[in-house]
Amino acid sequence: MLRYIIRRIFQMIPTVFGVIVITFILFNIVGGSPAAMTLGKNVSPKALEEFDEQRGFNKPLLLGRWSATRAYENTTFERNAGPWRQVEGVTYTAPQRREPGHITLAPGKDYALPLAFKLKPQVTYQWVLKYRLLSGTAAFKTVHSYQPDDVTGAKPALAAAGGFERQIRLLTTNSAWQTVKIPFNAGAVPATLKLTVHTEGGALEICALKLRRQNANWFDTQFVFYLSQIARLDFGKSNFTNQRVSQMLKDGIGPSLCLTAPIFFVELVVAVSIALLCAFFRNTLVDRLIVVIAVMLMSVNYLVWIIFGQYMLGYRWGWFPLWGFESWTFLLLPVLIGVVSGLGGNVRFYRTIMLDEMYRDYVRTAFAKGVSRPGVLFKHVLKNAMIPILTNVVIVIPFLYTGSLLLEVFFGIPGLGNMYINAINYSDVDVIRAIVLIGSILYVIANLMTDLCYALFDPRVKIG
Amino acid sequence: MNHSITESLNHSISSSLWGDAWRQLRRNRIAVASFWIIVVYLAMALYGEGVFWYFHWKDMTPPYQQTNLREEYLSPSVFRHPFAVSSVDDPGAVGSPAVDHRGQPAAKSVVARFRTGLRTLAHHPLGTDNLGRDVFQRTVQGARIAFQVGIITSCIAIPIGVILGCLAGYFGGKTDDFIVWLYSTFSSIPDLLFIMAIAMVVGKGLQGVYLGIGLTTWVNLCRLIRGEVMKHKTRPYVQVAHALGLGPFRIMFRHILPNVFHIVIITFSLRFPAAISTEVFMSFLGIGLTTWVNLCRLIRGEVMKHKTRPYVQAAHALGLGPFRIMFRHILPNVFHIVIITFSLRFPAAISTEVFMSFLGIGVQGEPSWGIMISNARLRLWQGVWWEMTFVTAAIFFIVLAFNLLGDALRDALDPRLRTSER
Repeated sequence: MLRYIIRRIFQMIPTVFGVIVITFILFNIVGGSPAAMTLGKNVSPKALEEFDEQRGFNKPLLLGRWSATRAYENTTFERNAGPWRQVEGVTYTAPQRREPGHITLAPGKDYALPLAFKLKPQVTYQWVLKYRLLSGTAAFKTVHSYQPDDVTGAKPALAAAGGFERQIRLLTTNSAWQTVKIPFNAGAVPATLKLTVHTEGGALEICALKLRRQNANWFDTQFVFYLSQIARLDFGKSNFTNQRVSQMLKDGIGPSLCLTAPIFFVELVVAVSIALLCAFFRNTLVDRLIVVIAVMLMSVNYLVWIIFGQYMLGYRWGWFPLWGFESWTFLLLPVLIGVVSGLGGNVRFYRTIMLDEMYRDYVRTAFAKGVSRPGVLFKHVLKNAMIPILTNVVIVIPFLYTGSLLLEVFFGIPGLGNMYINAINYSDVDVIRAIVLIGSILYVIANLMTDLCYALFDPRVKIG
Repeated sequence: MNHSITESLNHSISSSLWGDAWRQLRRNRIAVASFWIIVVYLAMALYGEGVFWYFHWKDMTPPYQQTNLREEYLSPSVFRHPFAVSSVDDPGAVGSPAVDHRGQPAAKSVVARFRTGLRTLAHHPLGTDNLGRDVFQRTVQGARIAFQVGIITSCIAIPIGVILGCLAGYFGGKTDDFIVWLYSTFSSIPDLLFIMAIAMVVGKGLQGVYLGIGLTTWVNLCRLIRGEVMKHKTRPYVQVAHALGLGPFRIMFRHILPNVFHIVIITFSLRFPAAISTEVFMSFLGIGLTTWVNLCRLIRGEVMKHKTRPYVQAAHALGLGPFRIMFRHILPNVFHIVIITFSLRFPAAISTEVFMSFLGIGVQGEPSWGIMISNARLRLWQGVWWEMTFVTAAIFFIVLAFNLLGDALRDALDPRLRTSER
């Protein structure tokens, strides 16, 4: 038995890993960085960068050395010159048929690269540059120009010198477009740093320019970041409520369970009893009527149950409180609606199970021996039908934790379902991802439980 | 002699799985009724489609979007007492019995009054909403969108499920392991959460473009099927059918089509990645992507069973390739599962669409049922009950019909599926 359990737990691992991969693909690869979507349009690049930094979205996806940075974002010159518009001596050429859009830097001048915000100190950055130089040379330089108050006391010698410049790379003449990667260090005080280009003897044409930041190692990536987040059980921070997601989940699960657990138990008891009733009166008018009613109940939309229930019972007749989460009376109506809306499908399902059992040989034998009808039903059929019922029941348990999305919204219950819908509306990625992930993992665990229950309750299921 | 052979052959044909199921279905009155309800809805949806494209083409505001603030909150025409005696004193209020919809005073003679009454009856038969838009027209449009959702999501889900299921069941081993892993992973993620997350990530909006996709896909499919049918025409089984005096349509649809149907499935599965990349399917994509799991599981089990059957072993012995056996021989034998799943998933897809539109992440800017419910919900508190009621009724009957037909189909085709599919 123990060996079986251990083996099943090991079998769980690939599925859990699969769930992690799928959520990663969905939110990191398909979704891309949600920074602009969540923060809005008129936000400084620095704020976006911080958003990405916090969630690891600027890192490479699976494996890589370089992170994106928004300090210099416009990488191609397809529509306009971007931040180079302001710089004197720069002319912009729109894309032609063969030629990509590019900017031309007139010779004999220093050009400073327009950065959106300061770079990080002592970090290696990299220019990725696609250029053409028909004649002459161009040099990439980092220029540190210190003002006395920039360096207070720390390095007075440097301050006295008024700064220094360092030539990083000399570009030579070439007539075709060529891509070069130029690494450089941001230095101790990046506030004073100017990234400059100097051209001499010929115009430098640039058609793509990127700035990237070096990571600590090759595995400093989004995927590893995600995995480590999961391992630390840290699901990030909601950018809407500004709370930690784990705290939000802790707060939300109580109300959710208050709502779903009663629905689950009441519905189970009622549905199984009605199904037994069907089995008792099988092939009579009562049975048929119950089936018809069950199918009708199934066909009414869930939304309609809620809206009409709230309108008629809560508002028109005033039997229940309408909205809120203050005492147990506020739960009565949502629980009632939840039970009724799920009843049809459940009754039909359990009835099928019961009837499947009713035609078995052992039932006929029991009847032939003269066991009474209730005796057969409760002692034999119910016991044997327990296995499919159990499967169904255990599988539903993980869904209890998400609460009931719509019921919570309509009745103002501050549970996880309510939270999830809010998160969807505000594109709150961290919250959505955490809820999806935890739901999936609970489901996998419930699956394991079902298998173990099988092994416990049915001696025919082989173990090991 | 000849006659009796034909007779016995006919008999054996009609007692095949499909023939048997068909006869059983026809005898089931509920199934027939459900079928006709679905046909009526389909006609409504097609009419809605026609209206939509007609006004789209003419570049006019379609009638279901036309606002008329003079006629807001008009109750259903029956409740407006269309045949009541006119009270000439108050000819002002629109929709009151005294005036017809053109605002002219109602006539006095019985015949004329009857005629006016009929006209009033036909004028906004199900009432109007807060902007004076016709509830009936909007409900029809809702049917159109519901069918689009049902069909498109099936077109996404069925190919993935069928193909992966066939592959897994047939090849076994590593392939099977991988596909089982894939679907168990997908099925571990709670459906609704997953659908909504996909819809959020892929983005809201856009629709109507898939008709364009449909119009480009069919050409390719048509060419393939044509080539295949031409090949099949010379095959012995078709010639036998010819010699037995069967009509060309019977041969075409009963004999050749099942043998080339795999192409349809393959084409759709090949179009699918292209469709994703255009990001047209948005929320529909979400629904389609999660439904295939169940189907895949069922098909896999069935194919595994069929693999040991004599006819598959015979095909093996004849040296046929695995794909040929899989799609040509086994698939037609397990295809009824697809049909059952389709009819059972359809109402679920409709409900999901209603749910998502209600939350505002589904259809945008069109009167889908979900959006209508969402709008009508607030007005219900003011006593405007008709909008809500008719949308509810519309959803109720189509879902009921699909539930009943699905049950009947399942009973006719494969009663064993009862407990495995909820």
